[in-house]
Amino acid sequence: MGSRFAPCDGMKAVHTAVIAGIVVAVLLPAIPLVIWSLSGGWWFPRLLPEQWSLRSWRYLASPASRVAEATRNSVIIALVTTAVSVPLGVPAGRALGLYRFRGKRFAEALVFAPLIVPSLAVIMGVQVVLIRAGISATLIGVVVAHLLPALPYMVMVMRAVFSAYDPEYEQQARSLGATRWETLLHVTAPAILPGLVTGALFVFLISWSQYALTLLVGGGRVMTLPVLLFAFVTAGDHAMTGAVSLLFLAPALLVLGVSARMLGGRPAGVSGLEGV
Amino acid sequence: MTSRHSVASARPALLLAPALLVIGVLFAGGIGLALVQSLGYLPALGMRTVSAGAFVTVLTSRGFLRSLGLTLWVAAVSTVLTVLFGLITALVLRRRLRNSRLIRFLYQIPLTVPHLVVAVAAAMLLSQSGLLSRLLFHGGFISAPAAFPELVHDSAGVSIILVYAWKQIPFVGLVALAVLQSVGDDYESVARSLGASRLQRVRHVLVPLTLPAVVPATIIVFAFVFGAFETPLVLGTRFPSMLSVLAYRLYTDTDLTRRPEAMALNLVIALIALVLVALYRVATRVFSERRDG
Amino acid sequence: MKSITRRAVPMVLCTVLAIAISTSLPAAGSRAPADDFARRFPDLGWEEIVSEARGQRVFFTMWGGSEPINRFVSEFVADRVRDRYGVELVMVPVTDASVFVNAVLGERLAGRISGGSVDLMWINGENFRTMRQADLLFGPYSHRLPNMRYVNTDDPAVRFDFGFPVDGFESPYGSAQFVLIYDAARVAQPPRTMGSLLDWIRANPGRFTYPAVPDFTGSVFLRHLFYHVADDPEELLGPFDPVVFDRLAPRVWETLRDIAPYLWRQGRTYPETSTAMQDLFANGEIWFDMNYNPAHAANMVEQGRYPRTTRTMVFEDGTIGANHFVAIPFNASAKAGALVVANALLDPEVQLEKSRPAVWGDFPAIDVTRLDPEMRARFAEVVRHPSSLPPEELFAVRLSELQADWLEAIEAGWVEYVLQR
Repeated sequence: MGSRFAPCDGMKAVHTAVIAGIVVAVLLPAIPLVIWSLSGGWWFPRLLPEQWSLRSWRYLASPASRVAEATRNSVIIALVTTAVSVPLGVPAGRALGLYRFRGKRFAEALVFAPLIVPSLAVIMGVQVVLIRAGISATLIGVVVAHLLPALPYMVMVMRAVFSAYDPEYEQQARSLGATRWETLLHVTAPAILPGLVTGALFVFLISWSQYALTLLVGGGRVMTLPVLLFAFVTAGDHAMTGAVSLLFLAPALLVLGVSARMLGGRPAGVSGLEGV
Repeated sequence: MTSRHSVASARPALLLAPALLVIGVLFAGGIGLALVQSLGYLPALGMRTVSAGAFVTVLTSRGFLRSLGLTLWVAAVSTVLTVLFGLITALVLRRRLRNSRLIRFLYQIPLTVPHLVVAVAAAMLLSQSGLLSRLLFHGGFISAPAAFPELVHDSAGVSIILVYAWKQIPFVGLVALAVLQSVGDDYESVARSLGASRLQRVRHVLVPLTLPAVVPATIIVFAFVFGAFETPLVLGTRFPSMLSVLAYRLYTDTDLTRRPEAMALNLVIALIALVLVALYRVATRVFSERRDG
Repeated sequence: MKSITRRAVPMVLCTVLAIAISTSLPAAGSRAPADDFARRFPDLGWEEIVSEARGQRVFFTMWGGSEPINRFVSEFVADRVRDRYGVELVMVPVTDASVFVNAVLGERLAGRISGGSVDLMWINGENFRTMRQADLLFGPYSHRLPNMRYVNTDDPAVRFDFGFPVDGFESPYGSAQFVLIYDAARVAQPPRTMGSLLDWIRANPGRFTYPAVPDFTGSVFLRHLFYHVADDPEELLGPFDPVVFDRLAPRVWETLRDIAPYLWRQGRTYPETSTAMQDLFANGEIWFDMNYNPAHAANMVEQGRYPRTTRTMVFEDGTIGANHFVAIPFNASAKAGALVVANALLDPEVQLEKSRPAVWGDFPAIDVTRLDPEMRARFAEVVRHPSSLPPEELFAVRLSELQADWLEAIEAGWVEYVLQR
């Protein structure tokens, strides 16, 4: 097989260049983050800091930095957003993927509209209600806001999963005497699990990375990692900015690594993006 | 696939209801309340007269047109770069990915890195006293920071464009890869046996094959950049600022009479996003019909 | 056409339903029990307030652009009020004071009259005036703080905030004065007046800039230009006078448009904030920094962010100084706790720590002559940093702040006639 399409030398050079370009482009941004996080002072035109320092990492580990609180809040918000998205998104994905019915186009337009219209613009309108309900500047309020951009992704992924799903198996299981729950547990769940994991990872990452909506609804009081990171950006402290950035992207990489394993090496995030 | 039948809408309606309720209340509620507030109806402030004044103020302000121009520019350029490099990398990687777990892992990294982190790193790399500027200084290409091109806090939004391209290339690339890998090599070998050159094969076989999947991805990419907030907050200029940033500034102005303007701007943003997407879909439909016909 | 209307009908119905749901929902929130602290406050003794504060969590919202100031609050002050009063102080950093003014306004707008998200705010100037005029502040309260005995309440700088009467709705926190900062290794002979600074800018293209308003450092720089072009500085003091403004403003805008080509990036853009400007200064892209905190240079040198040769200067024709305050929103959730913190901020020990250049370097809000000799001696012992100026030198040329209405006119004018030109 390979020999039939073996690129000629010129093409091979192009391929190598593109691969090298990918490696460099992906890793490049990490370099200043790492160096800054270890620097005491690092000004133009020095390529390396005048002074190395562990100040930022030490401060990160101290309780005063609020890193623990920010990490905890970020994890809670992302997990709850994901946990809420699953029971909402899976049935909706099933309805849109499996059935044809009246009003389907309208339902799709509404469910997927938040993918097109910026969430910030929409949540600004809702905020007056969140404030009055007393959930603005709380974790709950932030989760509600995160659902707007996150849930449509869950539905989108699950719709794609169910459009390639054959419900006959469920019928057969039922006719063989399985209960509703047994069918769900032993037939439906295993079939949709890889897609479900993909969708859940999507939702987790969208919530984890969210700054704008957390700022708007949390008002600075709900301290998450991006809010903390932005505070250091505002204060112009590059060492802390570098350190918090590295901390902030670590779990994302972890998620990516885990998903690569769980999904048997298929690229995470592809299934389900066709035909929005 | 026999079961993909039309059914009475009770069951799907039941399945859809929870998600529709949440999104419906948030989305339609947000739009509806934005409309009410944009018309200047803020009873708590004693503002009860309804007028379209805020829309007029926003649409005729100097800042709005400049911001709209910048936003469209940044969204369009970063989308073009994303699709271009997404397809190129997909074409190159389509056989590699099967073999190298490491390359696959690296390629997907940008998808998971938060925008804020990328923006921060871009500022450290691309500012006039950033790492690249220093490298050029040591290479003898520039003699001072001012000689390095303005890529950060610049009026063309160069670093903002680069951040979004960096983040989204693998997104489009993976969508294209999924298609390329599912169709296998058959079409290509047929074209090859018919004597098509490499470029012809790419242009007439591979790209058209991926288009149906790439087009919707492009819509998401464009719409996402159109609503960009945190990246321009870190890398943008005060004037013109991108539309979302402008709306946020109006919203947080201590002069509450500007709040109707913020809401009006939000509605304008929503409307523009929807219109652009509709236009894009019509254009691609016409395009594909012309091809097929 | 028909299909569009058919699709639009459910959309509209859905919107109406959503609004109906979302507007009926809040009624539950606004029925929350009204906060009765304000009603009980006049009859409460200080000891009762302190005991009510125990266990409360106080969200202190403040501009978070200075790392030393953030640490002073979140470490020194927070530790102190926790150990002594059992109050948990949580610092909420924001990019600009207008953000929390807007947050409280938004809460009032939404009918949230208790259980607000902000308990204490670092505030002065036009933001204080905005909140007073919208009746968004709790008070008057400052006369109830025991530590107010250290404050000279006859001082106009304590009684008025940017010309607006304080009336007990905010309590003093500190005092600051605008300074210019330069690196003596780069600028041997710094210009000593605003006029000669403008000449220096033209002679050194690309080496000067100032932050874009509404950054408060950029804003106060603009006010110095009004002092510069004024025929008589007295005409700037007092309430906003449109006649004077219309005479002076064109001169300022013209001066600024004039020097724009000689600014950093030819004045096509301005640093977003004073912190963005610090990077430009540290990297040697610009040769002057400016700050409303007179010990800013000392802070930065101590963090290793500015070179040791950094120096601070003021104009011979004066620089603007003002007091800054803390205030409590009308709907604060933890008013007793906020009062305890406001009082603790006036504690001589806290004011002393705050005045150390390596910590913050802010001038005390209290009148040091009212302290006992031992405490007075400790204030006198605070070592001046070589990068900062002695207070006497600053006070000798201190100019008054303009009233808040001037600020708004100046900032709006700059955006229209300089930034968007």
